[in-house]
Amino acid sequence: MKLRKLFLFGLLGGVFLNSCSSDDDNVNPEPKPETGSYAEGIFVLNEGSQTAGTVTYLSEDLSTVAHEIYQANNDDDLGKFLQSMFFHEENAYIISNGSNLITAVDRNTFEVVGKVDSGLKVPYYAAVVGETAYVTNLAEVVNAPNDDYIAVIDLKSLEVTGTIAINAPTAKILAEDGFIYVQNSSYGVGNTIIVINSATNAVVKTLEVNDGLTDMEIENDYLYVLGTESFETIDLTTGQKVSEVIFTEDLQGVSNLEVEDGAAYFTLGNAVYTMAVGAAASPAAPVIEYTSNSQWGKMYGFEVEDGRIYIGDAGDFASNGFIEVYTTSGEFVKKINVGVGPNGFYFND
Amino acid sequence: MKKSIFYLLFLSLFHWTPSFAQLDSINYLEEVFLSDVKLREFSTGQTLIKIDDSVTKLSRPALGEVLQFNSPIYFKQNGLGMVSSPSFRGTTASQTAVLWNGININSQFNGQSDFNILSTAGVDEVAVRGGGGSVIYGTGAIGGTVHLNNRLKFNQGFKNEVFLQYGSYNSLDARYSLEASGEVWSLSVAGARNSSDNDYDYPEKGENLNGQFYNNSLDVGLAYKIAPKNYLRAFSSFSHADRHFSLIRPSETPTKYRDVNSRNLLEWETGVSQFKSTTKIAFLDESYRYYENLSSKRFSFGEAETFIARNDLEYFGFKNLQLASVLSNTHTAGEGSGIDDNSRNIFSAAFLLKHQPAQEFSYEAGLRKELTNNYESPLLFSAGAKYRFSSFYSLKLNASRNFRIPTYNDLYWNPGGNTSLRPETSLQAEIGNSFRWQNLNLGLTAYYIDIQDMIRWLPGSGGNWRPHNEDEVRSYGLEALLGWEEKVGSGLLNLKGIYAYTASENQKTGKQLIYVPYHKATAAAGYTYGRWNFDYQFLFNGEVFTRSDNDPKYNLKAYTISNLSTSYAFGREGSYRLGARVRNIFDEAYQNVEDRWMPGINFNIYLNLNF
Repeated sequence: MKLRKLFLFGLLGGVFLNSCSSDDDNVNPEPKPETGSYAEGIFVLNEGSQTAGTVTYLSEDLSTVAHEIYQANNDDDLGKFLQSMFFHEENAYIISNGSNLITAVDRNTFEVVGKVDSGLKVPYYAAVVGETAYVTNLAEVVNAPNDDYIAVIDLKSLEVTGTIAINAPTAKILAEDGFIYVQNSSYGVGNTIIVINSATNAVVKTLEVNDGLTDMEIENDYLYVLGTESFETIDLTTGQKVSEVIFTEDLQGVSNLEVEDGAAYFTLGNAVYTMAVGAAASPAAPVIEYTSNSQWGKMYGFEVEDGRIYIGDAGDFASNGFIEVYTTSGEFVKKINVGVGPNGFYFND
Repeated sequence: MKKSIFYLLFLSLFHWTPSFAQLDSINYLEEVFLSDVKLREFSTGQTLIKIDDSVTKLSRPALGEVLQFNSPIYFKQNGLGMVSSPSFRGTTASQTAVLWNGININSQFNGQSDFNILSTAGVDEVAVRGGGGSVIYGTGAIGGTVHLNNRLKFNQGFKNEVFLQYGSYNSLDARYSLEASGEVWSLSVAGARNSSDNDYDYPEKGENLNGQFYNNSLDVGLAYKIAPKNYLRAFSSFSHADRHFSLIRPSETPTKYRDVNSRNLLEWETGVSQFKSTTKIAFLDESYRYYENLSSKRFSFGEAETFIARNDLEYFGFKNLQLASVLSNTHTAGEGSGIDDNSRNIFSAAFLLKHQPAQEFSYEAGLRKELTNNYESPLLFSAGAKYRFSSFYSLKLNASRNFRIPTYNDLYWNPGGNTSLRPETSLQAEIGNSFRWQNLNLGLTAYYIDIQDMIRWLPGSGGNWRPHNEDEVRSYGLEALLGWEEKVGSGLLNLKGIYAYTASENQKTGKQLIYVPYHKATAAAGYTYGRWNFDYQFLFNGEVFTRSDNDPKYNLKAYTISNLSTSYAFGREGSYRLGARVRNIFDEAYQNVEDRWMPGINFNIYLNLNF
């Protein structure tokens, strides 16, 4: 590989290392019984490396595995570097940041419905309010790290209808009660979260958090913030920090936050740690340590859902990776081979 | 008149095919000067493929295009005209050194040469030498070396050449060269432009978007004979390449790369009694700009200036024994978007010995050591021997230790550069067999290369990537070169063929490296009949793995490409030539890199005027 490209790839890789979490938690208020090959199951997003990314489908009981389900149902692919996925009503939307593309598919058949193919520049994560998706875009990654913006997309027409300039690095984006929360950090460098009112698309507030912001989650009006050295809980109704843990030295450098049923989960190297939300001290020992000989694709995807912990391992990014499933108490359930660079888990329920 | 035409055609025929001469059989005219004399004098036990100017003109002007059809080197190419990196004998792109008139011109930043921005237009001769060459040529000479040489001749009068070629995708290849020489001076000037819209259709749907490029170059050579055995020579080469990077999907962000290079070499050669001294001063300037988004004017850049002072001393005082030393000092100052202003200095000393105790036996040996603060420099060596058992068969042996030094990016990239890297080092050996029977030449070379401490970038804390001496690779394989020529009917037919078998495996995993085909073959046939000339080129590129676990599901399938061209010589003495070519005549749909379609059948016409 040409080294200049390697740098670029490296830089992108570095940016994309933060795993995504399910943005569907808040989006799909009325699940109803569905039919279709992929109704009721788990989608594993495989980022792809030298070629287009893919999606692997797992049935809920993990007994059925289908690879490359988009290619299987369409005469096409999803583009380079699949970054994240979100659901809205009957559709799933897959974001490809190497191809500036969002592909909308039927969430149960994975047949293509439409595409957003202009107005995006290295799209990253999305949050949905009503019929509108807010998508962070990194724009120029190397030459202008602070030109990031949010593309406002009408999900009916699949058109970018406007942009919100951020003028700072962006990453994850969440929606809660009509407000949009934008993680304002890159490579774990940064300590602010921008709040946008979706009624006006104007920035209304900037929350300051601890240094080293790597991930955030919102659950029941609480904003949970993971830094490389701390975990904070912020009450969104008051904007006040209600609790904080500064990690012990052996836990510094953590990433991948998930909050589920009153417990926070995060990762360091090949280990998963958990602690009760509001706890005063760092967890003493990991709940899971899995075996990986990946040099930089350990915990490339991480998710906690319905009593299960899902881990994606990207291996060397030049061959297919695998996932492992555990119970939240740390019992091994299954290991399944997937595509290149599994970076996220999305639940079609 | 008839005779002279025949002679010209014969010459042109001879030149229109690569010759696989062993070095000791190459005879240069006395008054021809080639800067890279070491290539001729110190290659015992190795095999050289020489590709003349008229053969390079059969291909598009990019060096990678020429070598793809005329050498065992495999090229990984992101579409026509895009980044092209070599894998020579299963090694990586930074383990093939490119020498311009004997000076190593691989990039200071990444240690590689992009074979699609190096143009053959201003070059008189392209030569490919397989195997190690670090003792003479320095860093990167592990898989082999590629030599771009200019020749200067005396007493040739005034010559002009115009070459104009136009074809599919609005591709233009325009060259003009002038040679003027008298008894004591010689001048050559060559200017060229190569450009293309490069918007070919993909086999199923879509077309190559944002693939346009142009490349302008100017090459100047000057020689002056001060006195017998006392010469001054100067070579300069300037090039400006502006290349957009093609998109796989229309929604992608268009980008482009701009490369500006200048290379200058001044040499003074003098002979005193049994000594010959050549003192060289070279100045190289490389700069690139990467435009990440064409709609903004922003770019990232790198620029490096390299200053080389060198002396080559040869002693001929002993019978059948030649001794040589090469002392060289290389100073590089570079900076870039990710690299603070840094300079480095490397002093090197090499000693070479060649002995021919008998007519049929010769051997050589060499040692090199570098002194620098940048890395711990290993002692490099090479040893070669050749024994001619009969006019039918010769045996060649060569063994060497070579290296690839850490590049500017490896050392100084901020953040991540690692100043405690060791050079990549190789230990390698080859056995060559040459058979010659009437008009048939056959060369068979088997080699083994063990490479340690290969540098790889890996992420560290905080998302910062950092290079480490990480990988070990073992390559082995076989190269076969075949040449044959025969009078057929009233015309002359000649055939050339190359086959390479390459196994290159990661020693930790035992898997074949991705994008290294086990099999590659090329063939060329030329037939000259009266004023007509016909050429056929063939390339077979074997299946490659694209996944490190060698999962065959994702392999890129093998492909074969055939090109056909014909030309007619006209004018007095047949010194004008009009020709036409068809490339990929069977319209093979193929990819050289995943998702990167290559062009189907395409056409061009050309006019070549010598006056």
